[in-house]
Amino acid sequence: MKLLESIRISWRAITGHKLRSTLTTLGIIIGIGVVIAFQVFGGGLQEDLLGDIQEDQDPLITVQTQTDQSFGRQTVSVNIYTQTDVNRLRNISGVEYVAPQARLSSGDLRYEEGSIPGGSGFGALFTVGATDASLFDASLFNMTKGEAFSAPDEAVVNEGLVELSKDNLSVGDSFTVKINGTDEEFTISGIVDDGDTGSPQPTVYVPLEYYTTTTETPRGTQERAYPALLIGAESFDQLESVQDRADDYLQNESDAQELIDDVDDQIVIQVQTIEETLEQFSNILDQITQFLAGIAALSLLVGSIGIANIMIVSVTERTREIGIMKAVGARKRDVIQLFLVEALILGVIGAIFGVLVGLGFGYIGVSLLGWPMVYPLDWIVIAVFVGIVVGVISGLYPAWRAARVDPIEALRRE
Amino acid sequence: MSRGTSAETGEEVVTATNVSRTYHLGDQPVHAIDDVSLSLDRGSFTAVMGPSGSGKSTLMNLLGCLDTPDEGEVVIDGREVSTLSDARRARLRGTEIGFIFQTFNLMPRLTAAENVTLPMVFNRGVDTGRRERAEQLLNRVGLGDRLDHRPNELSGGQRQRVAISRALVNEPSLVLADEPTGNLDTDTGGAIMALFEELNAEGRTILMVTHERHIAEYADRIVHLVDGKIEEIEDVEDVTPTGGDWV
Repeated sequence: MKLLESIRISWRAITGHKLRSTLTTLGIIIGIGVVIAFQVFGGGLQEDLLGDIQEDQDPLITVQTQTDQSFGRQTVSVNIYTQTDVNRLRNISGVEYVAPQARLSSGDLRYEEGSIPGGSGFGALFTVGATDASLFDASLFNMTKGEAFSAPDEAVVNEGLVELSKDNLSVGDSFTVKINGTDEEFTISGIVDDGDTGSPQPTVYVPLEYYTTTTETPRGTQERAYPALLIGAESFDQLESVQDRADDYLQNESDAQELIDDVDDQIVIQVQTIEETLEQFSNILDQITQFLAGIAALSLLVGSIGIANIMIVSVTERTREIGIMKAVGARKRDVIQLFLVEALILGVIGAIFGVLVGLGFGYIGVSLLGWPMVYPLDWIVIAVFVGIVVGVISGLYPAWRAARVDPIEALRRE
Repeated sequence: MSRGTSAETGEEVVTATNVSRTYHLGDQPVHAIDDVSLSLDRGSFTAVMGPSGSGKSTLMNLLGCLDTPDEGEVVIDGREVSTLSDARRARLRGTEIGFIFQTFNLMPRLTAAENVTLPMVFNRGVDTGRRERAEQLLNRVGLGDRLDHRPNELSGGQRQRVAISRALVNEPSLVLADEPTGNLDTDTGGAIMALFEELNAEGRTILMVTHERHIAEYADRIVHLVDGKIEEIEDVEDVTPTGGDWV
């Protein structure tokens, strides 16, 4: 029998019982729908946090301190990377710049038209970061107006802060902010779009001079020490070797290595390329997404039992029809084909509607959360494939039973 | 075509030789068909009569390739049925046998036209001109205006006409009818029998199971079955109401 023929006949059987067929496919629809929705959420969150960093990035290496656990690593902020470490790292071949990153405690930010509350509590709407001007060379930081600071009384603000000032702050404007208990006056030298760094809160970037936190070095001297560093390599070709050398230095010879043990022996120095950092992050997200999707996939099992159940009922109900078909020349193979195709159609329809429902709920969800919409194409393909597999597997036994129907018995029935 | 009888053509469509079929009801063997030999010549019209339990249906199942004998052989169109695989027997049913049942046995969800061409669906290679074929056959039984009606929209007589059209769709060697008028009133039954006569006059070979004498008399001969054995084969004189020459 031709496949098209069995599809036509099976379709007739399915549409002959619309409510039953709908309820049967519901299990598959829900299962696949939830899996797809989770993929949309996970993908949207990832896209939202990591954005388009993957493209046109720089050969960057981050130096951070993290807890030493394989799952759910957390970055901790301890001031262990001393100025000596920074200077030595700068001398490693292939290093273009080393930009220390530190957060300063600050008071309110005041400008001509108003003020923005600062400080360290929940009321703080912005943070002040001290860094090296070379940080802004990285394309992670996209200078939309003006340029990096070049004098101690200049500062760079990000777009989030400009927004917070209701667009009153612009290049050339002045503001004062209390840093370490002293009112400091700055002129804005540039506005930066740092949305790709994953920390898009409103920020004022000031020169390192304002960072005065010092730590006692192993040599007994007091030096400024930072919680994190950003190392720029001269080129992508040198990225790995720079990473290796920086890692080698930091793990073995640095002040940081000696200081870290004083803090907590459960933490380690992580020297990662920006790619690895992002990968680590997206891996965690992936694991969570996969875990949730896996639970959702359980309902697929329920769905396939539903299809098998309804198909067995259907075989019993249609025993006489099977007898008729056999009497007019249907072979076992034809009967199996008919019932398998029917189960298959149910599975595939369930999968298709499941994908649509999943994308729909996913879309509504990410829209409400303000995340970008992603279409998990691989999962859509997998879902349809799963629909086919579920259909075939749940149809196998009923089809086999149908094929075994004895036409003599079947036709004798009233 | 002139009216074909066994005497005129002598060509055998189906031959059953020393056929037995035994069922087991618990430990009791039931000899449904016991050492029966019967052959149907091309163009013949045979009726099988007998009390219930005499083996009428079993004989029909054996001749219709739905069942295989425990002993003896059934040869259809030159092929010995019990040597064929399941699939080949199914194919043989589809192409060489046309079944007509007491309860019509139409597919409830298919239209009249689709029911008529159902055997073509399982007969690979024949997939064009189905609609035309259904139209031709249904026109012929007077249902040309009912092509797209479902069985539940048709009367009993109309359903049996659809079933007859289905039996003919693959131009079978043998038409098997099991109590074809059993579920119909006398008038409608008479009309169906007239149709059978017409088909026989065209040269089709028909075997009909019935328990009504006046229905059996439409045939050329009547096989009387008792307890699984042929008791008598009676030739029917040409006294059928619609006898005569057919164009």
